[in-house]
Amino acid sequence: MKEEYKVAGMTCASCAISIESYLKPQKGILDVAVNYPNQSVTISYDENIIPLETIGNKVKEIGFKLILGTKEDTKKEFEALEAKRLATLKKKLIFAAIFSVPIFIMSMFLIGKIPYENWIMMALALPVLFYSGAEFYTIAWKRLKSFSTNMDTLVALSTGIAFLFSVFNTVNPQYFLSKGLVPHVYFESAVIIITLILLGRFFEEKAKSKTSSAIKKLMGLKPKKVTAIRNGEEKVISYDEILKGELIILKPGDKIPVDGKVKKGTSFIDESMISGEPIPVEKMKGSKVFAGTINQKGSLRIIATKIGDETLLSQIIKLVEEAQSSKPAIQKLADKIAGIFVPIVIGLAIVTSVLWYFLGPDPSITYALLTPITVLIIACPCALGLATPTALMVGIGKGAQQGILIKDAQALETAYKIDTLILDKTGTITEGKPKVTDLIWDKNTVSTELEKVVFAIESESEHPIAEAIVAHLKTIDKENVPIDSFTSITGLGAEATYKNELYRIGNESLMVQKEITIPTQLSTKANSLKSEAKTVVYVAHKNTVVGIIAVADKVKETTLAAIQKLQQMGIEIHMLTGDNEQTAKAIANKVGIKNYQANVMPADKGAFVKKLQAEGKVVAMAGDGINDSHALAQADVGIAMGSGTDIAMESAGITLMHSDLKQISKAIQLSKATMKTIKQNLFWAFIYNLIAIPIAAGALYPINGFLLNPMIAGAAMSMSSISVLSNSLRLKNKNIN
Amino acid sequence: MTTVKYKTNIHCGSCIKSVTPALNNLDNVDLWKVDLEHDDKILEVTLDDEDKNSVIEAVKSVGFEIEEI
Repeated sequence: MKEEYKVAGMTCASCAISIESYLKPQKGILDVAVNYPNQSVTISYDENIIPLETIGNKVKEIGFKLILGTKEDTKKEFEALEAKRLATLKKKLIFAAIFSVPIFIMSMFLIGKIPYENWIMMALALPVLFYSGAEFYTIAWKRLKSFSTNMDTLVALSTGIAFLFSVFNTVNPQYFLSKGLVPHVYFESAVIIITLILLGRFFEEKAKSKTSSAIKKLMGLKPKKVTAIRNGEEKVISYDEILKGELIILKPGDKIPVDGKVKKGTSFIDESMISGEPIPVEKMKGSKVFAGTINQKGSLRIIATKIGDETLLSQIIKLVEEAQSSKPAIQKLADKIAGIFVPIVIGLAIVTSVLWYFLGPDPSITYALLTPITVLIIACPCALGLATPTALMVGIGKGAQQGILIKDAQALETAYKIDTLILDKTGTITEGKPKVTDLIWDKNTVSTELEKVVFAIESESEHPIAEAIVAHLKTIDKENVPIDSFTSITGLGAEATYKNELYRIGNESLMVQKEITIPTQLSTKANSLKSEAKTVVYVAHKNTVVGIIAVADKVKETTLAAIQKLQQMGIEIHMLTGDNEQTAKAIANKVGIKNYQANVMPADKGAFVKKLQAEGKVVAMAGDGINDSHALAQADVGIAMGSGTDIAMESAGITLMHSDLKQISKAIQLSKATMKTIKQNLFWAFIYNLIAIPIAAGALYPINGFLLNPMIAGAAMSMSSISVLSNSLRLKNKNIN
Repeated sequence: MTTVKYKTNIHCGSCIKSVTPALNNLDNVDLWKVDLEHDDKILEVTLDDEDKNSVIEAVKSVGFEIEEI
């Protein structure tokens, strides 16, 4: 039996490893694969040997919770648990911040000015350590039992030591005073570290909960209630009750619940979420319709051919889910460093203590106690904890100023490595809405009068292209002329009479069918417009075409320059579109993209990203539609257009508010600058440690009798934090183009 | 449009569920309804054309008895 279950309580990638290694050796368990980002575990087991309950208990033994039950129930329970976790984290963070700020101010600016200051700071620090920071100590303790360390160990150790040492000096300052040493306190280091680490965790958890909201939104595209015809009667049923082969009634504005086939009626359906194409598609008897798309005008009766998990929408949801969970867990640099740093520091402290005890002058026991503490305090990861979050915060803020919204810090950390960029056509390269690009009248025609007639006729039509023409003519002339009659000719166009003269507006087939002459000059122009992938509408007066109107999805003004710039940066650009070959080719040529693919289905977009990733490329994907969401989630950096769908924005790490491709190169530059700052910060965070740890251990004592005062150790530590902070702030003034 | 009546043994709600896809998928069937109250379980179908046999075949294909009346 192989099943996937949600696991609650995992806080880091190594939690995943411990679950795996704990479960695997159990009898009856064949295989265990933990998916950390997805917070789930796939277990293959023999239920005769090991019942599920036992597995659940085993997981509980090591401090996690396996959520059992039906898929719907577990999902709900898991979401509730996650929401609770985020809320608790938020509470702990706010709590820590409220108590930390006064301690920080007191120790930095008011030292020696307030009576009983040490006692006050101790009282303020207690709740931060024992409530907000409690989980660091429990995790560190659990890890200690299995002889491993991580960032939590470092936090627990340094804050713990700093706190205990400070408490000792507060309660019994005489001890060091009597030995001629200053009993300094380090409450501020302890609480600030805890607050900052909690802040980082909170951001991470929030990003995690946002990815699942993209899926929730996709699911929201399924209607709750559906009108079906059962045994000759209209009945409102819930989504789950839909049967295969059911006849469903769609009213204007209805979301389509299933994949199906039109049985009766004609209408336009907005399929942009599936195809990405902005123009609603006309549907008539026999046409296929897809779940999640929206019926525009007109009523339809459809037969459900695919329901539930089989629909195209469900496939997209599944792909997005998989893409989001397959991303490698963020292996934090700080965690890696901590893995080496912590044992070294502990080792150094022990060595220091031993050396002082045996070789040190009297009172050697005091020195043996004091020096390792100074070592541990100076090794406090305060600056280390600041290095990444401060640079990211400034970077994210700077991005926001320029209209680049960075939702997921991971995107900012990766963007500078991008070497391949995939662009969706509609809405990303182009405006995403059909617009009139050319309006050409035969020279012998008085155009103003005609424009009014065209405006009047097209206002009557429900066709999306007519809407584009109306929108365009509205800007030229607002006067309305009365037309006498109007007839819509499905699939071809419309005809109307005005002042007893017949006008026809429609496509070439209509002109051919009605034997209308097209003057050579207009016919040539029409052909050249068509080769640019524009849709041409003919306007005929009596039996002659007097004008042509070209409608197309225009390329955004900034696109060409943006693409050139990105290519200069050495980024390979691909264009993917659900549109046909001719349109794809015309647009690709226009903007200078060599690699393009037409007729691409949503799942293919994600697969293409995967394929490029398999070739070792760092892939960014820019898009705006639901059809792009899988690819956006799959890409190393997903970039959504601010004008696009919510789901695209939820699936992507970066959203461009101006929907302008120029912002992509800016985002890359911003990422470069941010990463540079992080690296500089890490340098500043370590340089003090590297110099100060040996001094703290007493390396200079044999040479000149110098022993680092713990207070100077503390000052060095705050200096490294200040260097890191000011270096991060420098990013603010950097020019990003 | 012609309305045709058939005598069937479609006698319950779940039988109706079974014949639903078969009948809905017929191109020439516009509307249909089974009268479960009637002794002969009359199936009344509105057809776009005269092809009455397609209904008989469809209903038989899902395992019910049917004859035109």
